[in-house]
Amino acid sequence: MPRSLWTGSLSFGLVNVPVALFSGVRDRDLHFRQLHAKDHTPIETHRFCAEEDEEVPYDEIANGYDETDDGEMVILTDAELAAAAPHRSRTIDIEAFVDLEDVDPIYFDHPYVVMPSGEAEGIQRAYRLLVEVMGRSDRAALGRVVMRTKEYLALIRAREERLVLTTLLWHDEVRPTDPVPTPTKKDKPAKKEVDAAIELIESFSCDWDPSRYKDEFQKRLRKIVNKKAKGQTIEIPDEKDEQPSPVPDLMAALERSLEEAKAG
Amino acid sequence: MAPRSLWNGSIAFGLVTVPVKVYTATESKTVHFREVHAKDGGKIEHRRICPKEGKAVDSKETVRGYQVSARKWVELTDEEVAAAAGTQTRLIDVDHFVPASEIDPVYYEKAYYLGAQDKGRDAYALLLAALEKADRAGVGRWVFHNRERTVIVRPLGDALALHTMRFADEIVDPSDFDLERVRRKPTEQEIKMAGSLVEGLHTRFDPSDYEDTYRQEVLKLIEAKAAGKNIELPEPEEAEPADDLLAQLEASLSA
Repeated sequence: MPRSLWTGSLSFGLVNVPVALFSGVRDRDLHFRQLHAKDHTPIETHRFCAEEDEEVPYDEIANGYDETDDGEMVILTDAELAAAAPHRSRTIDIEAFVDLEDVDPIYFDHPYVVMPSGEAEGIQRAYRLLVEVMGRSDRAALGRVVMRTKEYLALIRAREERLVLTTLLWHDEVRPTDPVPTPTKKDKPAKKEVDAAIELIESFSCDWDPSRYKDEFQKRLRKIVNKKAKGQTIEIPDEKDEQPSPVPDLMAALERSLEEAKAG
Repeated sequence: MAPRSLWNGSIAFGLVTVPVKVYTATESKTVHFREVHAKDGGKIEHRRICPKEGKAVDSKETVRGYQVSARKWVELTDEEVAAAAGTQTRLIDVDHFVPASEIDPVYYEKAYYLGAQDKGRDAYALLLAALEKADRAGVGRWVFHNRERTVIVRPLGDALALHTMRFADEIVDPSDFDLERVRRKPTEQEIKMAGSLVEGLHTRFDPSDYEDTYRQEVLKLIEAKAAGKNIELPEPEEAEPADDLLAQLEASLSA
């Protein structure tokens, strides 16, 4: 059983369910260590105080904020920081229920699995009740959770008879699209071009099936590591790829693409 | 001022190529602290230490290693790791299309915006208009900073958004977590009452209705501390665990 990242309670009306949050993602990447070149001793990172040039144990580390107007550094301990929102650091209050389709994917952040914490029948029943009622409705619960000195807006839904939580970004954490260069009116495509493009899209349309995507980079990296372990040399591609140039005639390119699509 | 792009390349869509620039779409607004020594405010430095020699080691004296057995490490250079990117590192080949509404939120990782390059704006406009009308998102692969991701490209207002997606084997299956047995399942009456609570709290989601109040609280704390005030540490609060579900639901509904 993995370690929980947060424990507290989920509160829905006057019903309180003690819960624990677990990460909804696991890391599948190959991990490297920094080694001392001469004897391959794994390097460790230690924390030192720059003032006295001494190593500092973890519990003597505090949070420094140095953007105050008078240029003084303000130091807050973790306990003091926790005073910012004592209630919300331990409770997720369900504030509202929303339709998932109304939440633009740009806000989705990190997924978690929410499990009941405690074996008491009352806790387990209350958890099941939430799963049951959310499973029957298309709505997702909206609440706030404070984890490691950051508050998140969070969506809670039922999946596979458990509750899952997705943290959301705040609206001011999503940048406006205005500064991004986009086409102007004179780039507006002709109707026949749009129709041909839609036909092309439709001919390559399918359902979302995440199991078909595999991380080829990691696969190749594993091969490279294995080759290297056997003492073989790794071929380094010597040239940078060139960016393909844009096509001169959009309609001609679309027509040829459609012909190729039909030919399979 | 125009933002700086992170990556320049092309989206291939059939035989049409769309020259694009990738921009960050999100930014953290969390109040950032630096690690300091509690007693004197000294800045904390992370130093590389060789535990065998008990000495600091310069980064030039280190190599990247992958552990193949208890004692054996394989060294890899930056170029060797980058070689895993394969070919076509300047191209995102969007070779199929899906309804974005089918994608579970757990797959979305990070969001970017695609900007049009000076050449090929017409192709950008075409892809945007066609995806919008077909109500589809394009799927491709993108290698960026030594990581490969499945990406989806979808219209977002007058721009294209690019989302990196998590791989299926990175997603934890909720049913991997065991549930305790219950002697008595929630009753229909309890479910119905909870259902009316859900309906009573239903609202249309508007992200601008929600503010990060915690951020404000942290800034207030910093101000108080800077003014030399004492920070009162909160007492732990105990939430009432659920005991009599029905009574609590009834009370919630009448509240």
